[in-house]
Amino acid sequence: MAKREIPEINAGSMADIAFLLLIFFLVTTTMDRDKAWIRNIPKKIEVPIPPEPIEERNIMAIKANDANQLMVRGELMENPDNISEKILEFYRMNEQLSQAETESAAANPSHPGYNYPFYTRIDLNYIKAKKKEAEAAVDEADMNPNVDAEFVRFLQSIVDGWDDKKEALQFYGKPILPEISTQAHVRIEVKQKTNYGLFAKIHSEIEEAIFELRDATAKDLWGVSYKTISARVDTDDREKYATEFNQFDLLELLYPRRIIEVTPK
Amino acid sequence: MSKFKKDKKKSAPSVNTSSLPDIVFMLLFFFMVATTSKESDPTVKVVQPEGIRTTDMTPFKQRSEIDFLYLGKPRNAARADQFKLGYALFLDNVAQPDVNELYNTNAIKSWKLDKFESKPETMKKDIVDVITCIKADENAPSVLIFDIRKELQDIDALKVAYAVRDNSNL
Repeated sequence: MAKREIPEINAGSMADIAFLLLIFFLVTTTMDRDKAWIRNIPKKIEVPIPPEPIEERNIMAIKANDANQLMVRGELMENPDNISEKILEFYRMNEQLSQAETESAAANPSHPGYNYPFYTRIDLNYIKAKKKEAEAAVDEADMNPNVDAEFVRFLQSIVDGWDDKKEALQFYGKPILPEISTQAHVRIEVKQKTNYGLFAKIHSEIEEAIFELRDATAKDLWGVSYKTISARVDTDDREKYATEFNQFDLLELLYPRRIIEVTPK
Repeated sequence: MSKFKKDKKKSAPSVNTSSLPDIVFMLLFFFMVATTSKESDPTVKVVQPEGIRTTDMTPFKQRSEIDFLYLGKPRNAARADQFKLGYALFLDNVAQPDVNELYNTNAIKSWKLDKFESKPETMKKDIVDVITCIKADENAPSVLIFDIRKELQDIDALKVAYAVRDNSNL
């Protein structure tokens, strides 16, 4: 068979085709990513869990009215950028007090930290005792036929909470772990006509403060930034980043993000 | 005098363009990878407020664990008075008959549930874990946000995300 020469294909129009596709993707690309803060809505409860009275000092109240004016912990605030400093103050005021100092401050209304949440210094024995207490409560509720299953689950979650704290303490490496009052929370109270812009600004400031607190501690304890830790936790790869997950859990325990958003009336 | 003689007759050498398609293809692949197509163009005006330290929603989007809803004034101003306080909802358009359809908050339940039901069984996650991302206009009254939250609470879709423009890097 005679060897035939293969005709060359003209590739000159290849560039044209590629350009066409390129322009299509150029036009349809949106580079801005969707960025948001994730928040949980409280579950609707049928079984009322008896509410505990909350002390004034544990509430970091941020209020905004219909005219978009701010009131933070009872003080008017002109510039919303200052909210994060107030939140930092809320968390840090009594953080360094020892157990004895905490007790004396709680009894002394003229103490500068009197109106701020107090920290409990928890050690292994304290956790064990509390866990036993919580387990006893679960057993008691389990025996009682009048108690709803949902409530038993709630009690069980308390027991699990103490287990988590035990792990966090072991990871912390120090004998004592300061834990902010379990009641301490940030409360957002807006009015019906408050702008979403201001509402978002409040969330932004809370997020800034929490980041600041956790970042400072992360750098202090391990020399890594919180940004790195949270980015690795976001990958959901527990095996690869076990250390980061432990670090993250500990930071969450030290500086919990507890936010209550009050529905405007 | 001058050592460098100008040769006026010589024309400029032609540039070799054979690597042009390669360059173009490289750009093309970059944009193909970087593109995420928008669900739909909202027919409400939304100017998002700014904020920092946000979470990136892209991973949730890729796993389709997120529903978007837009809250803003209708682009067609004549329709504004049909809605509470003049702000309408635009729901991303999976289980929705008409793209131009705008809603009050009472439509959220059926929209969420429809979207949830229409997902293939293998991709289904618990409805509690499907985030609802609210993209609201910065001037929208907060009460509407809480109206939305209430609707979501009723169907146990307990995760919301407040969307903003992130300006951390500025």
